[in-house]
Amino acid sequence: MDKFEQAFNQIIEDDLKVEPRDWMPEKYRQTNIRQISQHAHSEIIGMQPEGNWLLRAPSLRSKQVLLAKIQDEAGHGLYLYSVAETLGISRQEMNEQLHNQTAKYSSIFNYPTVTWADMGAVGWLVDGAAIVNQVSLQRTSYGPYARAMVRICKEESFHQRQGYEIMCQMAFGTAAQKEMAQDALNRFWEPALMMFGPHDADSVHKGQSMAWKIKRESNDHLRQRFIDRTVPQAEYLGLTIPDKGLKFNEETGHYETSPFNWDEFWNVVNGNGPCNQERLDHHKKAHNDNRWVREAAEAYAEKTEAQVA
Amino acid sequence: MEKGDKVWEVFVQKKSGLPFKHVGSVRAYDKKMAIQNARDLYTRRSEGRALWVVPVEAIVSVPLDNADAFFDPADDKAYRHATFYVTPEGVNHL
Amino acid sequence: MKITIENNEAKFLFRIADTSLILAQRMAELCSNAPFLEEDIAISNCSLDLFGRAEELYKIIATIEGNKFTPDDYVFRRNEREFFNIKLVEQPNEDFAWTITRQFMHDVWAKEVFTQLSSSKNEELVGLCSKVLKEIEYSLLHSRDWMYRLGLGTEESNKRTQDAIDHLLKYVEEIFNFDDLDKEYFSDCANIERVWQEEINRVFSEINIERKEIQPLSMRDFRDGFHSEHIGHLLSIMQYLPRAYPDAKWS
Repeated sequence: MDKFEQAFNQIIEDDLKVEPRDWMPEKYRQTNIRQISQHAHSEIIGMQPEGNWLLRAPSLRSKQVLLAKIQDEAGHGLYLYSVAETLGISRQEMNEQLHNQTAKYSSIFNYPTVTWADMGAVGWLVDGAAIVNQVSLQRTSYGPYARAMVRICKEESFHQRQGYEIMCQMAFGTAAQKEMAQDALNRFWEPALMMFGPHDADSVHKGQSMAWKIKRESNDHLRQRFIDRTVPQAEYLGLTIPDKGLKFNEETGHYETSPFNWDEFWNVVNGNGPCNQERLDHHKKAHNDNRWVREAAEAYAEKTEAQVA
Repeated sequence: MEKGDKVWEVFVQKKSGLPFKHVGSVRAYDKKMAIQNARDLYTRRSEGRALWVVPVEAIVSVPLDNADAFFDPADDKAYRHATFYVTPEGVNHL
Repeated sequence: MKITIENNEAKFLFRIADTSLILAQRMAELCSNAPFLEEDIAISNCSLDLFGRAEELYKIIATIEGNKFTPDDYVFRRNEREFFNIKLVEQPNEDFAWTITRQFMHDVWAKEVFTQLSSSKNEELVGLCSKVLKEIEYSLLHSRDWMYRLGLGTEESNKRTQDAIDHLLKYVEEIFNFDDLDKEYFSDCANIERVWQEEINRVFSEINIERKEIQPLSMRDFRDGFHSEHIGHLLSIMQYLPRAYPDAKWS
């Protein structure tokens, strides 16, 4: 073991942060690139299901809030892309990996948002689950990723509240609104729980990621935290969690759920969700239709910036 | 973005009197775009009153191989710190 | 719900408020569709400024009208012929050159409009103007910079920009056909056109764009609630929820 590797191991052991110019094992670098770019793609693809309702938001307030939220997601994608770039992959490569499907993004965004109540459910459940995960990642061992998480968590604190506010409005609104809210909860509950990934026993990347402190808490652990927080929030709304097997275990102090439909999860992960194709096509179209704009910006910069450098 | 755009490091000053702090980077094709992109990405919540963007290739840093040579020699020079010195009891304002 | 407008000042302000609103909605269409992410954020920012501006203007209108209606009523409960935006801003985002050109033409106009309104007798409006003028100054910086990039970038970008300009210029003439109401609330109508023509011609001449002779369209004036066909589609999307669930409340 050379002095660089020793230094790396020491950083991990002492709970310090690995920085871009430090030596790191190639697999540590690749694991971080995979996870961070997947995280970034999720932010960016996640703009679409919410963008689906932006133009139809029912009030000036909700429209501005939703636009500011989607804008944050673009910003968070950018923070994360630039974090990944410190590990030696370019934005262009990440974009290509997204388009040729070698990079993934969170499967939750492959579900359609069919009613306005879904803007509530997405904020409350999807952002809620993401926040649980991201709070944990504030302690991840790669410095730039940890710092980005701190910033993202701070900015996203309004996202979940925005979603819950919509749920309140609808759950306590007209019968039609309440029905819409329940329907949204029914559709997003289980997919949101599966956002945390496979059970610990079935998780492929778990061991090494935990040892390197890239991942700080296990999937099941984080999922349980989310469930325990969310069930009482649903009760307040007077909505029913769509799981007949859900019960509170007095001994453990935790809620227990029925087994999830992992077949559906893997089917969506493998490209057969309701909107996988649409999300990717949308992203490609915006990118390809606007190639001429980027070429113009590049040509203009070549003509005007050269004199200065 | 694909080619022709550059990475710019972004520094924000939160209030007058405070130092500029590195906050991250943006991509942009030209200077004007870089400063506008930095504004939109890093100061949407009133985080700044002044902004710098610097092309990343303009930043010079210590090569990893030389890090020990650059920084370790400072470690044994405790006499540069005030705590190195003993002040006689009863003497103030030193 | 039938929205009525009683006061002249309110009637006048609807022109400005509706123009901000409709352009904001058009800009919001670019969310997740911009040429690259940084620009997505920039356009969203412009859109947010415009929605905020429209909302503040509707509040001022509501005050003038004795709070019979809320800003949301004005946005979601009026029909096509009850909107009074300039037709320029309802034109679609055919491509990014349309988006930028429309924005630039609007910003140059808006800058002089809000400059003049800042000497209004309405104190609320004057307060709003000082905030809005900063937003416009920034938006103008952004849209004007892009006019240069697109005009002087590549052959293709120049051609697309020329096409967008040729089309959008058709909707400009009506903006300067000021009526008595305009003359009452603007301090110098003629100057709005003068400033606009000067700045547009100056920029076009620097970015290799030809200002062609545009035959004015035979169309009726936006001041009387006349529109292109685009407005109906825009409203049907924007107003869908409150119209589909008239009893529901939305925050």
